[in-house]
Amino acid sequence: MFVQFFGGFLLNKGAVTRKQLIDAMEKEATSHIQLGTLAMHAGLMNAEQIEEVRIAQTHTDKRFGEICIDKGYLTGDEVDELLESQYPKYLLLGQVLEEQGVFDQNTFHDLVLEYITENSIPEEDLSNKNEGSIPGLVKDYCSEFASTNKEYQLEYIELLLNDLIRFIGSDFTLLHPVVYTNEYPAQKYASQTITGSYPVSVVLDMTEDTAIKFASRYASEPFDTFDEYVQASMEDFLNLHNGLFNVNISNTYSDELGLEPPVSGEKEAIESHSPMYMFPALFSFGIVNIVMSELA
Amino acid sequence: MQLKDAKILIGDDSILARKQLKDVLASLGAARFVEAVNGNEAVEKFIAEKPDLIFLDIIMPIKDGISAVKEITAEDPSAQIIIVSSVGTQHQLKAAIEAGAKDFVQKPINADQIASIVSSRFE
Repeated sequence: MFVQFFGGFLLNKGAVTRKQLIDAMEKEATSHIQLGTLAMHAGLMNAEQIEEVRIAQTHTDKRFGEICIDKGYLTGDEVDELLESQYPKYLLLGQVLEEQGVFDQNTFHDLVLEYITENSIPEEDLSNKNEGSIPGLVKDYCSEFASTNKEYQLEYIELLLNDLIRFIGSDFTLLHPVVYTNEYPAQKYASQTITGSYPVSVVLDMTEDTAIKFASRYASEPFDTFDEYVQASMEDFLNLHNGLFNVNISNTYSDELGLEPPVSGEKEAIESHSPMYMFPALFSFGIVNIVMSELA
Repeated sequence: MQLKDAKILIGDDSILARKQLKDVLASLGAARFVEAVNGNEAVEKFIAEKPDLIFLDIIMPIKDGISAVKEITAEDPSAQIIIVSSVGTQHQLKAAIEAGAKDFVQKPINADQIASIVSSRFE
């Protein structure tokens, strides 16, 4: 989940535009990590050596790894190890952005270092194997969200991000959250209320076009118009996620929360007496807005 | 009884959830379906159609699934009711079984789990 926060960081730094990031997220789905990217991440080669090998590749039939071995930049064992290694997902994003000419490898490397330093992320947490820093990243992201139960709030949001990855896709980044007071201008939305010790209303809101693509991913079916199936997909995702949250809370805290049936609507000003915290998830197909307001 | 001859009632307020479960059951050989969009309708259709197997969601408008289970089993204690819900807490599981449900499936549904449920009841 690190990459979902990292994209927002790149945007905030002005290192990429929204369009560049969206284009990269789209391309990422069909891209493969390259040996040069892995070698640089492992500290075995620098950007100049990688560029030298790439140029050499244009004059020969040899593979990138073979040329690296010929030039003494890598051993055969190192090539094998790199090709078998698990790599952090943000590396592929960086590779695609570099291929698209947004920035070079050195700049990308510096940005990653800046991000992990700012967020005190240990090196081992950057791999896919260990995401121990994720609760800290979620906490930082939600630092402005007041709550009657911060623990539950953070669990909810972390689970929501995981469920977006699980059921919709990992090609999104979180944009800066926005606080609404009094009302939120919904477009096409599904809404559901959790009851019990942590009463909260959650709204899933997006444009019609984004909803069609969201639903297509959720249902694994190609929808092309906004119909009752698309609407049901939005409600179902919310209901599924909220149900799983209730199960987690029950298992962890022995606290039974309740759930009301989801409802839908469009072009409405959703009102609330409590602050509404909106966090936008920028997917390659559009922005999915999640709006939470605690009712206690 | 063979699965293709069994009448199956699916009670869920989501048209997508009903379709997805129907698709899984159809892939296993089921062919006769009755649908309900809330607990009230589920009870009415149970009485009218006498299905051989019932799948019910819990969170539904007008009448929830647990209440529907109680009314259906009051009508017919041998009714084969399977709860299919996203809220698979111990509390809900206990409430469902005490109400008379025979099994509980946590959403998202797993085709293998549905296959196991029908294979133990039909040829």
